[in-house]
Amino acid sequence: MTKQHPAWSPYDNNGGTCVAIAGADYCVTAADTRMSTGYSILSRDYSKIIKLADKCVMASSGFQADVKALQKLLAARHLIYQHQHNKQMSCPAMGQLLSNTLYYKRFFPYYSFNVLGGLDNEGKGCVYTYDAVGSYERVGYSSQGSGSTLIMPFLDNQLKSPSPLLLPAQDAVTPLSEAEAVDLVKTCFASATERDIYTGDKLEIVVLNKDGIHREYMELRKD
Amino acid sequence: MVGKNCFAIASDRRLGVQLQTIATDFQRISKIHDRLFIGLSGLATDSQTLYQRLVFRHKLYQLREERDMKPETFASLVSALLYEKRFGPYFCQPVIAGLSDEDKPFICTMDSIGAKELAKDFVVAGTAGESLYGACEAMFKPDMEPDELFETVSQALLSSVDRDCLSGWGGHVYIV
Amino acid sequence: MLLRPLSWVQLQLGVVLAVEKRINSPLLEPSSVEKIKEIDEHIGCAMSGLIADARTLVEHARVETQNHRFSYGEPMTVESTTQALCDLVLRFGEGDEESMSRPFGVSLLIAGSDENGPSLYYTDPSGTFWQCNAKAIGSGSEGADSSLQEQYNKDLTLQEAETIALSILKQVMEEKATPNNVHIARVAPTYHLYTPSEVEAVINRPMSIRRKSSLKILPWLQRCFFSSLQCKCTSLFVC
Repeated sequence: MTKQHPAWSPYDNNGGTCVAIAGADYCVTAADTRMSTGYSILSRDYSKIIKLADKCVMASSGFQADVKALQKLLAARHLIYQHQHNKQMSCPAMGQLLSNTLYYKRFFPYYSFNVLGGLDNEGKGCVYTYDAVGSYERVGYSSQGSGSTLIMPFLDNQLKSPSPLLLPAQDAVTPLSEAEAVDLVKTCFASATERDIYTGDKLEIVVLNKDGIHREYMELRKD
Repeated sequence: MVGKNCFAIASDRRLGVQLQTIATDFQRISKIHDRLFIGLSGLATDSQTLYQRLVFRHKLYQLREERDMKPETFASLVSALLYEKRFGPYFCQPVIAGLSDEDKPFICTMDSIGAKELAKDFVVAGTAGESLYGACEAMFKPDMEPDELFETVSQALLSSVDRDCLSGWGGHVYIV
Repeated sequence: MLLRPLSWVQLQLGVVLAVEKRINSPLLEPSSVEKIKEIDEHIGCAMSGLIADARTLVEHARVETQNHRFSYGEPMTVESTTQALCDLVLRFGEGDEESMSRPFGVSLLIAGSDENGPSLYYTDPSGTFWQCNAKAIGSGSEGADSSLQEQYNKDLTLQEAETIALSILKQVMEEKATPNNVHIARVAPTYHLYTPSEVEAVINRPMSIRRKSSLKILPWLQRCFFSSLQCKCTSLFVC
C-alpha cells in the first residue's frame, strides 16, 4: 500500500508588488517591503529591489528564494561582464540577459515576476517588464506582483501610454516630472495596500537619474 | 459609486462566451424604478431570469403597498431570491444602487448566493473586479457632485476594462 | 609573404582597410581570394599569413560577436572581440582533439566601430594585440609603415584615407593596382567591402595628400616608434 503524502511543491508565493516608471531623464522603481506566505507575514522589512549595475535596478516579486538565486546569478554575470568588457552593463543589455536567464529555465522556471528599471545609453529612462519565463517588453511604466491588477489600470489612466500598435512607434516614456512620478507611485501603493493583503508595511522607492541613485521610504498600512 | 446625494452605476457593453464576443451593445444595468438600478454580471440567461423575477416581485410590491421599494428592501429581496437557490445558484453577481426618499444613496453588491456586501464608497463586481478595486480605490473621493462622479466612474471603468480581456466595448453609465 | 594588407584609421569617421592580393595565375578567379572579411556588421578584418588559419579565427570571432548579441542585445565592442580572438590564438596545444596543435600563423588587422568610435587593432600569432591609429602588416609593411607615419593625421576624411591607403599600397606593390588585385573595405560605421567599380573609382582618383603640420607629428612619432618595431617582428614571423 502506498502512503499518501500531502503534495509538496518546490514553489511558494511570497507576494509583493513592484512598480517602475520611466521618464525623460529618470526612472522610478518601487516595491513594498512585506514578505508573506499564505496568511502569515514573514517579514515587514524585506527589500525586493536590487541594484544590478550603475544604471540598472531590478524589483522582483513572487518566490523570494528563486528571486535570490536569480539576483546572485545576475550579479555574477555582471561581474564577469565587467572583467571581459571593462564597462558597466547597460540597462538594455541587462534586460536581454535577464530574459535569456529566465528562458534558460523554461521548464522549471524561476517563480519571479520582475520589472527592470534604469537608464539607457542615451540617458533616457527605461522600464522592462517580464513574465516568469523571460518574455519581455520595453515600456514606459509597469507593475508586477500581487497588487499589479489593482495598480495597472490606474497607471494606464494617469499615464496614458500611446498604443504599441501606433505607427510610427511613439516614445513610451511618461511626460511627468520626477517628483510627480514619485508621488504617483506613492498614491498607487497606498491604494493597492488597501485591497491586497500581500502588499503593505513599507514602500521602498529607488530613483535613478543622471546624478546617480537615491532611495526613499514611505510607511504603508501594516494590517 | 456614491457621491453627494447621488450615485453612479456603470458597466461595460460586452457579452461573450469565454473568449468569443457575442454582442457589443449588451445592457447589463436595468432599472427597477426611477431611483433604483441593478447591474447583473455573470451568466446572461441567469441574469435575465433573475431580473424578470425581480421585476415581477417589485410590481407585486408596488400593487400591494402602493409605493416603490426602498433600496435596502430591494437588496434584501435580491439576497433572498439568490439564497433560495443555495445549492444550484444563479451564476451572477448583482450590484444594486439606489437613492432613498431622503436622497441618501445606497449601494451594495453580493455573491451568487446572496451574501450582501454594503459599502459607503463603492462596490464592484464581475471579471474586471480586481482592476476596478484598484482604479476606484485610487480615484474615489467622498461627496462628489454628479458631474465629477460621472467623470470618475467613467475613467475608472474604462481603464479597468482595458486591462480585462473579458470586458470592454465601451460602457453604460447612469447617474441618479 | 605575398600579401600586403594595409590599414587606416580615421578617428571621427571610420576605418579603411586596403589589401593587395597577388593573383599568381591568370587562370585564378580573383573573387575567390578573400583577404578582408566581415566579422560582424560593425567589424571587419584584414589578414596576412596563413589564410586558412585566419578563416578559423574569423569564424570564431563571428560566433563570439553573435553570442554577445544574443546574450546582451548589443554589438560587441571591438576591443572585446579582439581579446576573444587572442584568447583562441593562445589556446593551441591544449589536449583535446578540437583545439589546434600549433600556433595560428596569421596576423590580423581588426577594424571596427563601436560606442567609443572607430578603432583599429593589430594582433600577431603570439596572441598579443595593440591598438593603432594606422598600421601595415605583411611583406611590404616596413616601407608602408614609415609612409603611414608621414602621411597619417587624425583629421583625415574618409576619402583622403582611402586615397592615402591606396597610394601607399601602390608604392609597395610590384604590379599595377587594379580592381582585381586590390581590395578595400571600410567600417564607417558599418562594414562595407568595396565592389570592383568602387575600387576603380578610388584608383582613378587624383592624389592630393595633405601634409600634416609639424606640431602634430611629435606625439605621433613617439607612438609609432614602438609599433614599427612590432611590425618588424611580425613580418619575420609571418614570412
